[in-house]
Amino acid sequence: MIRLLKIEFKKIMTYKVFWILIGLYFLFLILGILMAEFMINSIVNDMNRHLPIPIPHVTIYFFPWIWQNITYFATFRYVLIFPAIIIIILITNEFTYRTIRQNVINGLNKSEILISKLLLIVLISLVITVLLFFGILVLGFSHTANPDAGMIFDKISFIPGFFFTMLTFLIFAFFFGFLIRNTGLSIALFTLYVFIVEPIVYYFLKSPLVFKNGISTYLPVNSILRITEYPAIPVLKQIMGVNLQDSVTAGSCLIALLYAALMVGIVWWIMAKKDL
Amino acid sequence: MRQRNLKHIKTPKILTNVLSISGISKHYGKIHAVNDLSLEVQPGQVFGILGPNGSGKTTTLSIVLELVRADSGTFQWFGEHPGKESRKRIGSVIESPNFFPYLTAALNLKIVADIKEMDYDDIDRVLKVTGLYERRNTRFRTFSFGMKQRLAVASALLGNPEVLILDEPTNGLDPQGIAHIREIILQVASQGTTIIIASHLLDEVQKVCSHVAVLNKGTKLFDGKVSEVLSVSDCFELSASDPVALEKWLHTHTDIESVEKKNGIFQAFFKARITPADINNGCFRDGITLTHLSERKRSLEQHFLELLEEKNDQTP
Repeated sequence: MIRLLKIEFKKIMTYKVFWILIGLYFLFLILGILMAEFMINSIVNDMNRHLPIPIPHVTIYFFPWIWQNITYFATFRYVLIFPAIIIIILITNEFTYRTIRQNVINGLNKSEILISKLLLIVLISLVITVLLFFGILVLGFSHTANPDAGMIFDKISFIPGFFFTMLTFLIFAFFFGFLIRNTGLSIALFTLYVFIVEPIVYYFLKSPLVFKNGISTYLPVNSILRITEYPAIPVLKQIMGVNLQDSVTAGSCLIALLYAALMVGIVWWIMAKKDL
Repeated sequence: MRQRNLKHIKTPKILTNVLSISGISKHYGKIHAVNDLSLEVQPGQVFGILGPNGSGKTTTLSIVLELVRADSGTFQWFGEHPGKESRKRIGSVIESPNFFPYLTAALNLKIVADIKEMDYDDIDRVLKVTGLYERRNTRFRTFSFGMKQRLAVASALLGNPEVLILDEPTNGLDPQGIAHIREIILQVASQGTTIIIASHLLDEVQKVCSHVAVLNKGTKLFDGKVSEVLSVSDCFELSASDPVALEKWLHTHTDIESVEKKNGIFQAFFKARITPADINNGCFRDGITLTHLSERKRSLEQHFLELLEEKNDQTP
């Protein structure tokens, strides 16, 4: 395992495209997080112009709700797409440059090739999660007066929730990369599916004419993004009357993981059958 | 129990075939890329797989390197079932050089070393052998085609593999590049490394190989020592003071294949190995005085083309 990861590291260490995309991802992530409160408050200002009783300004960066809020904004499709594209590029490069054939010739098994990419996905998800964890800690401390341990870690379940979202979303990208094998086409089809195809299917299934039950929420990307479904914003609570999401549920993680397992299974089966 | 014990007895290396292929077939739709092919490569041989483009050379190598699965048939490396461990003992260049363009030559070779589970000590040596040491920290993308091909050879040489597989190693190279690659091949062969070369160039096989298998349309037409292929079906030019008696003598010879008469000189083709002395003695015994006798060895190229033609005649 260590050997497989060592090989993967050599492939990305001096690969400029990888570092540029990683940089862009963190730029979008940090900007998104820091601008979220400002954006919400500008909407609140707009609403207040027409309301007799003004809604108070929103603050989202205080413990313990910060965990829920930040992981919610950090799992927007527009942000998640960056690491997904990185994974697709790293996988399809192996086909473009035929290095996957050379790796097999030199002594790797097809299963080892799949495992090394999965290990890389786990590691990338883990590193991003850890960085986000520390980022939230810093941000939370600077926005919370007199926090105590119980308060800080009350909503910590959103951190593993974020990890599972990232992991399963990247496995979805892994699925596209290994199935399509062509860089441009995989990225195009993946983006098309995530931003256009599934939302259309989602709203179609959601319309009362089709199904009354919540089948629309079981679409793959929707299942993945539903792990961190709602932010904990006071105004939302006031409007909806209830707290929409208290914690990350094991059930939502399980559904996403089942999708991931299915995708890995399909890729495994096709790779075993197909010649390189 | 007994079988388990047998595994631990090391058979002398010389007795085990490096590669034995038995009856492998692979078809793509209706096209038979490889058709019931059997081959044996022994230690120390420089084995040429010769055939025109599309004769199944690369498919055969892809099968034995487990890139492509055969429809039927089996093969063994070093007398064992194939697997990733046997592939680690083989250095191969198949088709084009496959490396990450955005990594340096040295880093690409380090990846190969990691896969083969060997340390990096040998990287400098193979880079020097292939004349790329000065460019080791340059990205692969910037290499000329000849340099890319040499890096592929360098990666195949990494860790002194027991077997070297080269698929069209000089394809697309300039004469200087061809000479350089051939020099490396001959040098490696002289160390006793088994080499398998697929090529459509007769000249190449003739120059570097000790053994050859000729393929056409996925079928093996012939295999054996290159030197034997060269002298099989020898052609002799003869004339005698009594041409009628000579013609009769030739036609009644047990190993005769064909006789042609051109300007009073007979061209006789024999199926078996015949020396000029055999002919001289035979004629002398039957009272025929030869006025001219010369041996003409057909080149591998002629032989190759004839083999291909024969096969084509048989297929409607």
